[in-house]
Amino acid sequence: MVEQIPNINLAWLVPAFPLLGFLVTGLANKRLKHNQAGIIASAMVLLSFLVSLVLFFVLRASGQNEATVTLFNWISIGGMNIPFAFLIDHLSLTMMLIITGVGALIHIYSIGYMHDDGRVNSFFAQMNLFTFSMLLLVMGANYLVLFIGWEGVGLCSYLLIGFWFKNPAYNYAARKAFVMNRIGDLGFILGIIVLFFTFKTVTFSEIFSQAAGFQAGAPVITLITLLLLVGAVGKSAQIPLFTWLPDAMAGPTPVSALIHAATMVTAGIYMIARSSILYNLAPFTLNIIIVIGLATAIIAALIGLKQNDIKKVLAYSTVSQLGYMFLALGLGAYSAGVFHVTTHAFFKALLFLGAGSVIHAMGGEQDIRKMGGLRKKMPLTYFTFLAATLAISGIPPFSGFFSKDLILSKAFEHSIILYILALGGALITCFYMFRLLYLVFFGEQRLAGAHPHESPKVMTIPLIILSVLSVFGGFLNIPSLFNGDSKFITFLQTAVVSKASEELSHSTEIGLILGSLLLLGLVIFFAYRTFVSKSIIPAKDEEPMPFFSKLISNKFYIDEMYTAVFEKPFGFLSDFFYNKVENTVLDPAVDEIGVTTARVGALLRKLQQGNMSFYLFAMVAGILLFIIFILIV
Amino acid sequence: MNEITSAIQLIPLEHYIVLSVTLFSIGMMGVLFRRNIIAILMCLELMFNSANLLLAAFSAYHSDPSGQVFVFFIMIVAAAEVAVGLSIVVMMKRNVESVDINLLNRLKW
Amino acid sequence: MILLVILLIPFITGLLLLPVRNAATVKQLALASSLVNFLATLSLVFTFPVSGYSVSWINSLGVNFALGYDGISLIMLLLTSLLFPFIFMAGLKREQENTNYLYALILFTQSALIGVFLAQNAFLFYIFWELTLIPLYFILLLWGGDGRRNVTFKFFIYTLTGSLFLLFGIIYLYSLTPGVHTTDFSAFSQLNIPVNTQVWLFWVLFIAFAIKMPVFPFHTWQPSTYTMAPTQGVMILAGVMTKMGIYGALRFLFPIIPAGVLYWQNTVIILSLIGVVYASVIAFRQTNLKTLIAFSSMAHISLMVAAMFVLNYYALQGLLFQVLSHGVTIIALFYIVMLIEEKTGTLELPQMGGIKLLAPNMAILFLLVVLGSIALPLTAGFVGEFLIITGLFQQSIWFAAIGGITMVLGAIYMLYAYQRVMLGDKKVGFGNITDLKPVDYIVLIPLITIILVLGIYPQPVFNLVEASVNTMQNLLVPVADVLPALPL
Repeated sequence: MVEQIPNINLAWLVPAFPLLGFLVTGLANKRLKHNQAGIIASAMVLLSFLVSLVLFFVLRASGQNEATVTLFNWISIGGMNIPFAFLIDHLSLTMMLIITGVGALIHIYSIGYMHDDGRVNSFFAQMNLFTFSMLLLVMGANYLVLFIGWEGVGLCSYLLIGFWFKNPAYNYAARKAFVMNRIGDLGFILGIIVLFFTFKTVTFSEIFSQAAGFQAGAPVITLITLLLLVGAVGKSAQIPLFTWLPDAMAGPTPVSALIHAATMVTAGIYMIARSSILYNLAPFTLNIIIVIGLATAIIAALIGLKQNDIKKVLAYSTVSQLGYMFLALGLGAYSAGVFHVTTHAFFKALLFLGAGSVIHAMGGEQDIRKMGGLRKKMPLTYFTFLAATLAISGIPPFSGFFSKDLILSKAFEHSIILYILALGGALITCFYMFRLLYLVFFGEQRLAGAHPHESPKVMTIPLIILSVLSVFGGFLNIPSLFNGDSKFITFLQTAVVSKASEELSHSTEIGLILGSLLLLGLVIFFAYRTFVSKSIIPAKDEEPMPFFSKLISNKFYIDEMYTAVFEKPFGFLSDFFYNKVENTVLDPAVDEIGVTTARVGALLRKLQQGNMSFYLFAMVAGILLFIIFILIV
Repeated sequence: MNEITSAIQLIPLEHYIVLSVTLFSIGMMGVLFRRNIIAILMCLELMFNSANLLLAAFSAYHSDPSGQVFVFFIMIVAAAEVAVGLSIVVMMKRNVESVDINLLNRLKW
Repeated sequence: MILLVILLIPFITGLLLLPVRNAATVKQLALASSLVNFLATLSLVFTFPVSGYSVSWINSLGVNFALGYDGISLIMLLLTSLLFPFIFMAGLKREQENTNYLYALILFTQSALIGVFLAQNAFLFYIFWELTLIPLYFILLLWGGDGRRNVTFKFFIYTLTGSLFLLFGIIYLYSLTPGVHTTDFSAFSQLNIPVNTQVWLFWVLFIAFAIKMPVFPFHTWQPSTYTMAPTQGVMILAGVMTKMGIYGALRFLFPIIPAGVLYWQNTVIILSLIGVVYASVIAFRQTNLKTLIAFSSMAHISLMVAAMFVLNYYALQGLLFQVLSHGVTIIALFYIVMLIEEKTGTLELPQMGGIKLLAPNMAILFLLVVLGSIALPLTAGFVGEFLIITGLFQQSIWFAAIGGITMVLGAIYMLYAYQRVMLGDKKVGFGNITDLKPVDYIVLIPLITIILVLGIYPQPVFNLVEASVNTMQNLLVPVADVLPALPL
């Protein structure tokens, strides 16, 4: 029996604060005055953050690696015992700190961003509910509690994408997100059920200790990991379930930052990292993850090249970065994946918040072709945005460099082709990010009549904090190449079992880094020439384009394909079932039985002519027949 | 009483049966083929009485008085029935000016 | 004795209500009686088990007036007595014609339903089973909507035809009982009927329940009936009557003809799963909100039927849990449908939209109920459907996968409906829609609380049925090896 760590039971407070915030802001919706909801909600998340920090130090002081906090028995029947319990270990602590830390900053930012919205109180209630669900997701000590959070964040994402519900297109986007997530969730829940029947439990620690008894490549483990992967693919917007994420940009920008960049979409990565022991036993699944991750990273990056909506560019970049994280998972470098989750949370949240600041300043305009020259007007936003762009592009010493380089070197260890493809994706990322930066902040202002202005402090301060994190976040894990000790990866090792791999020699690594830096420099220079020196503005949507550009700017027609392959046939099937099967076969068949009875009646009625003599005759005939029958038999 | 039964038993039972069946058949044919409702009622009486005859005969042969009790019973019922039947005839005559039963063809559906 | 009280309270109240002319008094009395009934039923939970009640009734037929219950009946009784107060509350503050007759009929229905769940022999069961139909027939016929004459007629004849088979089955079983014939369930279950007989007897008995539940393809009466039925009628139908079918199947099929069940097990499961997908797919394109919910209810019930026929521990626990959860959810759904119809004057989805702008609280509560219906975790629906899918999985992974599709398809059509009604910009002519009234909160908040509480802490329900489920799940085991090959 593991010794109980003092004060670890505080863990329940972490999700409790946002829940409280949700209840207060939700129930007192009408009574809260200006900004009160925002302040309450932010305070709650901040409190959660503080408690998480306390937990971090408590765990560290205890010298133990993990602790389970059981609240009550949720479902306990027969052989099924599912407690409502939290697992506090290094992985969940990392995620808790990201969620509450970045979350708190985004909440504070939203006070400024949503200032003028009439339903700001509902907004904060839903944001708090999201934080609560997300915390449940990462803190759950078994797959089912994880699943509660998993579905909960899906719900909040649905609510917040459709926050401005007057617009039917937004509602459609929200529903699309929810349904695509649900498809993934179906795989996930089936995976949990297979897990349950295989291990007779869904609790992480018990499953992982039993997993040692399975051979690598055991079919049941492959099945489980594949089913869980379906869930992760849906939640983390990977091919083929990625089309919801760009549409999800319909929500307010802080939502995109919190849910669709920093936290929820990384849930799939978290879940796979959490199940690393199972995935290590399923090489087949890992290979699939590599393929999915790499394909998503490159395709999404390609689409990002031609997007003209500032948030859509960032959305595709998120999908692409999630692809990198998947790649890391597929390579068995789970910790590297989680590290990229962390740095990505910093710089992508910053990018979205910066974009929000820009949109705010431009009075709601999101088309980058109409922006330009904002560098002078909004210097703070510009510098923070620049820091994030450098980070996502992987320029040292910004945070993205460390995490991306880690993934790239793992890819190189695996195979050179993987490395080249991954590096190609990274170069494309760099190009479209600088394209975005140049179009928005450089050149001349192109929208007449707009008066951009720097955002208020409540918005810029979170930007500054996040930019500090984006710049220095990489130092959490300085590799041995730079005389570091890979702190972050070592920290996670107790919770996540990464595949052992040979370290690259330092000279190879330096070569790779220098090579990629050179290419990145070229890309940035090219982007500068195109968008600043020549000030080429992307063409309007109506203008004809060469085939490949057209393909890309139409997102490879994937949405159209899904509509044609799934949505339309589904509607057709529905009509077919209702009009043909139900209303021409089944229902008439039943009616037909009734009608036939009536028809037989009509036939027999003919005998009843009302003629007395005939009745009498029939009666006598009947009696005679009856007598004859009796006599014969 | 005993004389009567022994007198009845003078004639063989078969004769009673044949007579009764004949009477019954005549009555039945009348009911089936006559159209005059009064004739039909009379034929019905004939059928009743053929049954009565048989009951009386069997009663005597079996020395069981309950058959004769039945005869009285049937006679009373028949009387009541005739009363009802004749009143129907009267009503029919008043309403359709005829005693032809084929005119009464609304008894359907 | 308390069983008799529970059975008679609604009936006597119904009789007393008949001459009362004042509508408000009628409603209050009915509500009070149903609340008393609920408390009495609740007392059963805490004193479980209470001995049955039996007096000799028709000696020549060997029929006693015997009432009793086990865990399964108790769940059904709880559901009934829990839902009827809400059904009565749905009429509060609303104009209804001939209130006294309507409420008396509803009370009679309740009494008959309770009778079904308490009956300890097939004769009594059948009487109550048919008795539920008569007051309900009048409720639908006299207070229903468009086309009620034809629809009610069809509903009545359809279900009655099914019951006829049941009657035949009961008489047949009765004739098989040794010695002095009896219709006791306990005697029926010891019959040891030859396997070949069980194989055909299964359909004779099952068809009545299949129509009531309804199972694909015996469902065609349901959408039209739900659509035209008055709110309180449809609440009874969807909330309790469907469960009566499930209860009947549990009572008659599994203990009495286990071999027949085993023989047809996969057939029925496949039929149910077809029903799940079929109803879900159809629901998507419905334009009438009530019809849409009717099909959604059918999808959920079909899943429950599939769970019933896999008959393993998790499926049964899930089924009985889902009985409660579906009952509560569907009643809340139909209540909101009624509100929407009152406020907008229509049920056609294309004519609606933007109600959230005018009635935000109604939108929130509607959403909560919708979430319960699509089995979001921490609502009761999730616990039930999770266990059901777990149970299905034990039989076959494909069953589980198809059953799980309800989760996806349910999300599609329920959110579609929610979006069409509540979201978007408001339609012209919806200007004077008001938000919920206090009475609406009184109905909806407790229902939603139940949905959430059961989802967060389902354990008490599990404990209540544990014993019965354990008996049930073993019924099929001894007959497994005497079975002829399936014709499939």
